[in-house]
Amino acid sequence: MTDGLKLGDRIFSSRLLLGTGKFSSTDAMIRAVRASGAELVTVALRRFHPGRPVDDVFGPLAALEGVTLVPNTSGARDAREAVRAAQLGRELAGSPFVKLEIHPNPHHLLPDPIETYEAAKILVQDGFFVLPYMPADPVLARRLEEIGCAAVMPLGAAIGSGQGLTTMSMLKLIIHEASVPVIVDAGLRSPSDAALTMEIGGDAVLVNSAIATAEDPELMAGAFAAAVKAGRDAWRAGLMPRSEAAAATSPLTAFLADEGAG
Amino acid sequence: MDLVLNGEAYRLDGPATLAGLLRECQAEAGRTAVMVNGEVVRSSQYASVRLSEGDQVELIMIAAGG
Repeated sequence: MTDGLKLGDRIFSSRLLLGTGKFSSTDAMIRAVRASGAELVTVALRRFHPGRPVDDVFGPLAALEGVTLVPNTSGARDAREAVRAAQLGRELAGSPFVKLEIHPNPHHLLPDPIETYEAAKILVQDGFFVLPYMPADPVLARRLEEIGCAAVMPLGAAIGSGQGLTTMSMLKLIIHEASVPVIVDAGLRSPSDAALTMEIGGDAVLVNSAIATAEDPELMAGAFAAAVKAGRDAWRAGLMPRSEAAAATSPLTAFLADEGAG
Repeated sequence: MDLVLNGEAYRLDGPATLAGLLRECQAEAGRTAVMVNGEVVRSSQYASVRLSEGDQVELIMIAAGG
């Protein structure tokens, strides 16, 4: 693989990670996962209640080839709860990856940087490949990298808000300084948001709502996959510099002008 | 034996082991993670973990999420 995404000890060819929430049905979700080409797919945890009907998400996902499940710690309000959730997720998914997310306020769902940092330290020591959902803060990104996180996942905008890359200037700083992959997570609305993330040097994007709540999630998943590839190729190819003035693409010789005119 | 299962009272009639509880709840071992009194139990230990009166047990499964 010439342009793989290295996370922990694994290398992935897809730079689009997909969340599985908010789909109208498990079938729609599975079709979107296939169309996205995603190799890393996030899942959540919930209680199993004996005797109540179970919507089996795990079975159909586990049957997909080439898909690694990434349990998240959603619902955790502090580091202690997040560590427990990660350990439970590991038992269920059999995957060393965890999407560490600690967002105690349901109104904005912004990540708690202090609890996230504390939980990440414990989980890295416990052998996890930690993918922390975090504010777009270059200082925190560096600190999370230093303690051994496998990537950093700064937000583009609030979860599910569809506001796009509201944190653009901070994302550029994080990307400039990071030596672990930068995965922009949350807030993306359109494939162009994903393409732009890749064009500025982001390593991957994690998308959920923009695909799950589309009228045709399968089609949108394919659109995001194409956008991620286009943006990545553009970044590798090297975008042309900007210029204040025009720079002609055709010769400007004056052979069409009348001799002696004006 | 009386347990607290997922925050609610639960009477366990079978053997007082975690494996016994999972069987009684028809919870598939590979698809159910367990916490007992706040501690995560590794799946390899389900058969050997004994339950005691009043233990708080949480059964957890994978769900859709972002």
